[in-house]
Amino acid sequence: MNRRLKVLLFATAREAVGRSRVDVDIPKNGSTVRQVVALLARDYPRLAGVLTSCRFTRNGEYVQGWSARVRPGDEFAIHPPYSGG
Amino acid sequence: MQALKELGAPGLGGIVLFVGRVRPDRTRLGRVRALTYESHRALALEEFRALEAEARERYEVGRIVIWHRIGTVPVAEPSVVIGAASAHRRAAFDATSMLIERLKSDVPLWKSERVRPGRPLRRRPSRGPARSAG
Repeated sequence: MNRRLKVLLFATAREAVGRSRVDVDIPKNGSTVRQVVALLARDYPRLAGVLTSCRFTRNGEYVQGWSARVRPGDEFAIHPPYSGG
Repeated sequence: MQALKELGAPGLGGIVLFVGRVRPDRTRLGRVRALTYESHRALALEEFRALEAEARERYEVGRIVIWHRIGTVPVAEPSVVIGAASAHRRAAFDATSMLIERLKSDVPLWKSERVRPGRPLRRRPSRGPARSAG
């Protein structure tokens, strides 16, 4: 069974990791956003400082709170503060 | 000019067009030559649609354009175009102002400065009123 979560990285988050996408393994019944962020901060120490100011999306929708759940096969995106215009 | 064509329609007497251009700001590494923009494309387009719907609900506007360039935009070239057309000018001014402010705060777009070829320098994200191009 696929237990991978696809994580998209943008701007300073991408620069901190050096890639625009990473896959992380999560339990087949899913994880909380808090758990995923902790996993990413552990695996990519340079990302840790960036994550504190980021918003997160799951399958194209903003996640509400650290307890929101993500599941294997989801697309999870990390959005640093926006700077368009 | 393309934006003006898209905004023009009979009965719409006021057109307001905002064009944000890349400025040659000074940075500690030298003068900015270009800005490179990236986006979370699917979500950005969804936010554009939501902003347009909100502008239509709040203001009596007939036509709206929301355009933003992605990739590298040299100094003096436009990076963003926002326009609104309405029967009378006030609604078009108000809608355009709301749209550019909200684009900056709500749409997943990011810029980085290019001072010399191959040397990106991250600009501080804009908060509140426009601080950089646009």
